[in-house]
Amino acid sequence: MFRRKRSKEDFAAEIEAHLELEAEELRREGLSEDEAQWKARREFGNVRAAEERFYVKGRWVGLDKFFRDLRFGFRSLRQSPGFAVTAILTLALGIGANTAVFSVMNAVLLKTLPVADPGRLVYLRTSNPPRGTGTIDSNETFSYAVYDALRQEQGALTPVMAYVPLSGSKVAVRYGTEPEEAEGEMVSGTFFSGLGVSLPRGRGFSQQDEADHAPMAVISYNYWTRRFARDPGVLGKTLFVNGVGMTIVGVAAEGFEGVEAGMSTDFWLPLQDRPELNAWGNPLEDGKNYIADPKWWCLRLIGRLAPGAARAQAVAQLEPVFESAAYIGLGSPKDGAKPPVLSLTDAKSFPGYDAQYGNPLRMLMAMVGLVLLIALANVVMLLLARNAARQREFSVRLALGAGRGELFRQLLIESLILVTAGGGLAWVFAEMATRLLGQWAEIESSLAPDRTVLLFTLGVLALAGLLFGLAPLRVALAGGAELALKTSAATSNADAGKSRAGRIIVALQMTLCLVLLVGGGLLIRSLRNLENTPLGMKVDGLVVFGVKPNFRSVPEGKEFYANLMSKLRVLPGVESVTVMDERLGSWWSNNSAMRVDGRLPEETNGASRTVRWNVAGPDFFGTLGVPVLAGRDFADSDTAKSPMVGIINEEFARRFLPNVNPLGHTFGPDLGPPIAVTIVGVVKDHKYRSIDEEPLPMAWYMYAQIPVVGAMNVEMRVHGAPLAILPAARKVVQGMDPNLPLIKPMTQRAQFDTTISRQVLFARLAGFFGILAVVLVATGLYGTLAYRVSMRTAEIGVRMAVGARRGQVVWMILKDSLMLTAAGVVMGVPLAMLVGRALASALYGVKPLDVASYLLAVAAVALVALAASAVPAGRAASVDPMRALRAE
Amino acid sequence: MTTQENQFDRIALLQGTLDLLILKTLVLGPCHGQGVAREIQRRSEDVFLVDHGSLYVALQRLEDKGWINAEWGVSENNRKARFYRLTAKGREHLVEKTGEWRRLTRAMGLILDAGSELQVEEG
Repeated sequence: MFRRKRSKEDFAAEIEAHLELEAEELRREGLSEDEAQWKARREFGNVRAAEERFYVKGRWVGLDKFFRDLRFGFRSLRQSPGFAVTAILTLALGIGANTAVFSVMNAVLLKTLPVADPGRLVYLRTSNPPRGTGTIDSNETFSYAVYDALRQEQGALTPVMAYVPLSGSKVAVRYGTEPEEAEGEMVSGTFFSGLGVSLPRGRGFSQQDEADHAPMAVISYNYWTRRFARDPGVLGKTLFVNGVGMTIVGVAAEGFEGVEAGMSTDFWLPLQDRPELNAWGNPLEDGKNYIADPKWWCLRLIGRLAPGAARAQAVAQLEPVFESAAYIGLGSPKDGAKPPVLSLTDAKSFPGYDAQYGNPLRMLMAMVGLVLLIALANVVMLLLARNAARQREFSVRLALGAGRGELFRQLLIESLILVTAGGGLAWVFAEMATRLLGQWAEIESSLAPDRTVLLFTLGVLALAGLLFGLAPLRVALAGGAELALKTSAATSNADAGKSRAGRIIVALQMTLCLVLLVGGGLLIRSLRNLENTPLGMKVDGLVVFGVKPNFRSVPEGKEFYANLMSKLRVLPGVESVTVMDERLGSWWSNNSAMRVDGRLPEETNGASRTVRWNVAGPDFFGTLGVPVLAGRDFADSDTAKSPMVGIINEEFARRFLPNVNPLGHTFGPDLGPPIAVTIVGVVKDHKYRSIDEEPLPMAWYMYAQIPVVGAMNVEMRVHGAPLAILPAARKVVQGMDPNLPLIKPMTQRAQFDTTISRQVLFARLAGFFGILAVVLVATGLYGTLAYRVSMRTAEIGVRMAVGARRGQVVWMILKDSLMLTAAGVVMGVPLAMLVGRALASALYGVKPLDVASYLLAVAAVALVALAASAVPAGRAASVDPMRALRAE
Repeated sequence: MTTQENQFDRIALLQGTLDLLILKTLVLGPCHGQGVAREIQRRSEDVFLVDHGSLYVALQRLEDKGWINAEWGVSENNRKARFYRLTAKGREHLVEKTGEWRRLTRAMGLILDAGSELQVEEG
């Protein structure tokens, strides 16, 4: 019971009534008016005491004291607003950075799939698919034939589920009239039921839906929110996917956005069997889609271990089935060929994330951990300084009878206020930071802090609160009551032992700061190197977008692109236009071995024969600005009727056609249709997949001459701002087919930049944390030195009175901080070398022992020390000896 | 601070008895605090001199426990006063406590009158 119904006024009124009743009775017994009043009051005793007992009794006394301490704490913090603001901001930055990075780490590395019982889910993996197959990922994708065989095997995995995107990026959808793009997947009928994902609205798919290839869709909660504003009426409406109508039958549970890393799937379809909806949006190969083609390993598989089944048991049961299914359509395995091996890996958390973000995130976590240490140390030092300055106050309070417990409680409450304010602000920081991080890192799944993160932050806060309460207590109690009687600032504050702890903390902060600066410096230099890497083309002025038209025949497709290019070329401001299969700088590439002049090139000691290839349109290299070293570019005159031509890069010529003129030789795919194209041009090496790739042999086919056609990317070189051409381009595309959106339109520069976005993000964050550390160390050092100088005012006064010059006083202060810096550097350099070694894999074009980075970091730390000392030193030098001594 | 604590100690000693006396007084009917004090004094033949401050705190305690309830009313001589009334729960408690007291006093009596025990044996 914290508060009773009855007020203390009511109680007072009752006592008043009592006194009157008593007095009246006494009067009746014959006393005079005054005597009766007086006697009633005397008999009652102490009215105030009774009232106080009433007041105290009705409350939880502790809470009352707590509020009193809280008020006192606020009042005493308000007296030094500079201290309070600095401490709170320091805490907010330190803890906010940790919360943000931890929440990303939590979302990316620790969080489990949002499904039922994720512990029994496994991803299916293979060692190597048989020779003669094409894959999306050689370890993670399977053919439809394999899926079909595995799912019929009862008892091991119940069920085996397949899922495959409708496109490598986004797919054209239409709801109503406007075409747009979204991320979609085709999945097994068992997908939702097998994963245990609930559908709060509508229903999921059944095995019958998969067998019928039913034209229906389930949309994600996120997509439902974003695109349909949570309109419940969306169920039963039609969503056109690549022009094919799908009835929306359900909305998946909130938070479920597929089982792929970094993607947020917008909608799911049962596995479809039609040319417009081939897996990965690929064109049909020999007229076969992913279901009909056992040589295309494109499905991802996930399974749920049957109750009681161990993983090894499941593998043992599935392996023979898998092996025989793997060779469907390929004939029997060649002698000596290694059979593909099936394995299962944990599906508890998102796959791939760890490889992509694991190390950088752990590194960032370590960095922000250091930042937090610096921040906490700062606040502790601020508290120490502040409480040392309040020693007189504590002594007086002890002398006046305050218990040590009371003092301790009050210090704890003050630190509680700081920690609460700092923590609240930190949470706000972290919310904003994670949103920004998500955008920069292009992680579409939610990174927002959740309950785990909250617990983490509260843990850090509790620790900080206790630390801040305990640390100054020693100082507060050390003084004792008798200190109040001493009046000299010189005697009460010249205790060297206490500041030793402060000096050690500052030196350690310098150490950590140096480590952070070296790490940040190395990463930023790597980033510079990456950003300045020549791409081998004139990338400015290029804009790129994808189109995925539907056509009934290959010639119709070729005609579409020819038409599109000729219409785009005449737009005002357009210099040249071309098309390509794989978009440059998107991490995608076609790779395979190539026959050169009809046979596979000999390669000594097992070097890779892999050639990266692409399909390109006329004027491809001219548009990109890649120099043609010999021969010519593709031209409009290269058609299906003219002889087949191809182009290679320098590296291809160097590796496979050394010491000869490559023009006139031929190349063609190792497998598949027996095509041989004549080399008509050699171009300079340039980047294909990403900025940080090494030159690889590359070859290009002319799109108009090969027997397949599918979605393509259009590359345009324009005058002026590249993106300004997009509305006109969109009009052209939609004039040809109103169903077609422009897929992922962006400048080619931006597209290439996405391939280093992780490094950019990592380096920027590392740099930011380095700067944060510098700022924190500078404020900490400044605070400590300023405090020490103010404590030594009397001593300095005496020194100057006996003849010390101002220069000597300044040097005395500076020497102090320079020595701390030197100690920090001595400790920091070896530590930084360790960190540099750990960072090695994240560096590009910089050695972990980059001398410049170390020198810069040391210089920066020294500069910070000098800057932070300058003001206190100046103040010390301006001490007026007479005034300093008179103040005693 | 310290003096207050001593007061608490004293109340603690009195607490059981005073509560019981108040409840017993209220069996006769609703009464205000001053009336309760007078009644206890009168019935104990002035042996118990009730400390008025403690009385009101005790009344509040009993009210908080739900053994009595109170409302403002007008006294027989037309003065405003807060009248207390025994609740069913309070009546139960009174019966129970009275029994305890009887046993306690009897036991105390047995021990304190140990001399007369011999007489009983003789007799």
